Amino acid sequence: MTTETASAPGLALVARRQLVTGPIEAWFPLGPGDRPFVAPGQAVVRGAPMADRLRDPKTVVVPGPGSKGPERPGDRWTPPGAPATQDETGVPSGELLFRSGGRWRIAAADSSEPLDAPFPGIVREVRDGIGIRLQSPAKGILGTEVLAGPTSGRLHVATGPDGELRASQVDVGATGAILVAGARIDAETLTRARAVGVRGVVVAALGIKERHDFLASEKRGRAGVHGLPPFAILVLDGAGRRPIASPIMAMLEALEGRTVAIVADPACLVVDDPDVDLPDPPRDLVRVRSGPLAGAEGTWLGLAGPRRFPARVMLEAGLVRFGERPAIAVPLGDLERFA
Amino acid sequence: MTAPRSLVAIDSGVATTAVSLIGRPENRWRLLGSLSAAAPAAPDDLAAVLTGRITATDPQLAEAVGLRLEALDDLPRLEARTEPPRTLAVLGASRRAVNLVEGIAARTPWRVLPASPETHDPREMTALALRADVTALLLGSSEPPGPDEGSALDDLAALVAAVAQRRPELHVVLAGPITNRAAWREGLGDEADSIGDRIHQAPPLRVRSGPDEPLREILEGLLPRSSDTRFTAVRAAISLADVLARRIELIEIGLDGGLRAIASPGVADQGPVAVAVRSARAGLIDADPEQGTVDSVLAWTTGSLDRHRMGDRLRDLRSNPWADASGEGARLRLAAARAALSRLVALTPELSAMPAPDLTIAAGGVFALAPGQAVALAIADVVRRAGATQLAIDHARLLGPLGTIEDPDERRPVVADLADDLLAPIGTVVVVGGIPTVRRRGVPVGSIRLEGDSTATSEHDLLPGDLAFVDLPPGDRALATLTFRNVVRLGRRTRRVSVPVSGGLAGVLVDLRDVPLRLPERRDRRRAALAAWGELAWPGETA
Repeated sequence: MTTETASAPGLALVARRQLVTGPIEAWFPLGPGDRPFVAPGQAVVRGAPMADRLRDPKTVVVPGPGSKGPERPGDRWTPPGAPATQDETGVPSGELLFRSGGRWRIAAADSSEPLDAPFPGIVREVRDGIGIRLQSPAKGILGTEVLAGPTSGRLHVATGPDGELRASQVDVGATGAILVAGARIDAETLTRARAVGVRGVVVAALGIKERHDFLASEKRGRAGVHGLPPFAILVLDGAGRRPIASPIMAMLEALEGRTVAIVADPACLVVDDPDVDLPDPPRDLVRVRSGPLAGAEGTWLGLAGPRRFPARVMLEAGLVRFGERPAIAVPLGDLERFA
Repeated sequence: MTAPRSLVAIDSGVATTAVSLIGRPENRWRLLGSLSAAAPAAPDDLAAVLTGRITATDPQLAEAVGLRLEALDDLPRLEARTEPPRTLAVLGASRRAVNLVEGIAARTPWRVLPASPETHDPREMTALALRADVTALLLGSSEPPGPDEGSALDDLAALVAAVAQRRPELHVVLAGPITNRAAWREGLGDEADSIGDRIHQAPPLRVRSGPDEPLREILEGLLPRSSDTRFTAVRAAISLADVLARRIELIEIGLDGGLRAIASPGVADQGPVAVAVRSARAGLIDADPEQGTVDSVLAWTTGSLDRHRMGDRLRDLRSNPWADASGEGARLRLAAARAALSRLVALTPELSAMPAPDLTIAAGGVFALAPGQAVALAIADVVRRAGATQLAIDHARLLGPLGTIEDPDERRPVVADLADDLLAPIGTVVVVGGIPTVRRRGVPVGSIRLEGDSTATSEHDLLPGDLAFVDLPPGDRALATLTFRNVVRLGRRTRRVSVPVSGGLAGVLVDLRDVPLRLPERRDRRRAALAAWGELAWPGETA
């Protein structure tokens, strides 16, 4: 038995949810045609451009050698005699994909947008058309999923752990902020947040409908003439509504007003401020992650053994005390611990 | 050196960690106990709790097998592990070609991402092939290339050659006449020799698909397999078939993939054999469940969830597969299991065409937690094969760990000792096909008579489209005699047949529904039918 749970018998059988990770090795995927500006070993500061990403990329067929002699897949291609981004005939520069029938296919676009480093770090890997790996001694508060991004901004707790941020509560005062939006957020609020320049949202749950709406809106915006400023949604739990877990909420409250970042791989809120001490969760705290008691938190008392639950299902259970009420048996699979 | 008297069997799945303690109190291996928890629970923690329970319940047994908490680390271990599926990009020069090759790749543990010039432009296909999670690339072409492939095949050959140069870790499988094309040779240029060991040549595709084993073997050969549960479980099933002298079908639905195998005992000089298909497509829930997955699960549910709410439930089930396993959650899991099993059955027509096995083993956490009757109904809903088969569950998830014993001669006696313990009997499923349509409802089309050694003889009328559970306790055996007014199919065409049946948690399930199952098209009628059958499997539980 591991020592960390030796004082709470049976707690080791409850799934442990890792809250914090570190150091961070964030991966930023690139596509064919995206142009990295950094090299392995290079240090970058927050906001430094790491790459140029194509917006609304397309395939262009070009006749032959470009301005730089021997060519290989992945090389940059510029029209002969025109080292600028686009020649007079409108043929853009781009990245060589492959050569077939004596003609190169290149990935190109009419416009691009920068990929800025959301936190300071050292570039560990750069692969054209594949991605950039950025390492930092920072910590990350883990979520389950990130949509869009990366982004950075100052953290603002806009509502309580069980609250639901409404569109009317989002105004220009939140410009540049990453908002903690409570249990769930609707598509209208996301659109409003986007419009007023909010940089990101941290939310416990995001429903599949809001997810689809947001991704569709993001796709339209990215293809638009002016593009979109950085924005990301960090989903902490899943799709069904539930409050933000108290240990995570305590961390987010400790970060109020500080600059943080959201990255997708690993899906987390990056905290690169060494002065911040993230509070540790209580050792015997358990949380119900699904079912009728979803989101409830209590104190672990011990194993209850196999018990019969609705639908005649026999499950291993644990005894949990919620507040001052008598202990009840909860299936181990419905519980999570943090320490 | 003395032989061990107990050992630890571990099945480390993507969703579940299962630990079993096996002991040899006298001259035979016995299952002492098993315990599962949500992955990635530490096997040592599970083994410690289990040891504590065994020691408290039967200290003499624990002493006899040398089971002590402080000596757990010294026990030998059999450990099988399920790895998350790797991603394979499948490219073809036309939609037809990519469908052919995708159909084969889907019958492997790879997660398949198909693309053809009709669905992706060259930049999108390059982006797909360059994705960091794609670890292998399969380019398929028919022999000779069809008229729909001709113009695009050179482009694809050049694209794959370019990607192979850019990603030195990528394996490339070529099915068809690709390497002799000028575009391929020119694409590789000077690097043809240096990347040659990453290029795997497979036979070309046939328009009327022939045996796909050569390509599947190449694809499966690119995966680590030494202790993968879905490989080792087949080995254990082969040993079990040999030990019991029975044909065994093993059906496993995991979070990230599924397995269907039929193992047959050895005959004369030929040893026991198995036909197996492992597929990532048969996983319980996709990593990113989208509308198709949601609809496939909704088709098996009786509740009133709309697509969005069902999508939310499935996303949560995917991220927390252990959670919400009782009540309405239990029904949702089995609905998802039916959808996954349907995909698996669709991928394995050659196994469905075989005669009903003597024993069907259901494996995987989704079946291990559900009530016996609900499991029997879920299997009978999807695996529609006229005949009688015993049904059991690998409740302790022992097949995978036992299969890690490499030597079949060493594995066989252990499996023989544990054969009774490792399977929890659900009962017998009797599926009758070819029931003629009757005009008047409520008129019996036949009857079933159960004559057992230890149970009273019982007889039940059988109605067309009927589904009935007949009590037969675990451990009991009986002879079921089915008599029909007209000829039906039950292994063969007959009016009267006697089959041995064995009892279990669900007893004997007699299924006179259509083979294959035809559900009403209208959603309300479909739900009503599912609810009526579900009431038999979950009596007293509201839908």
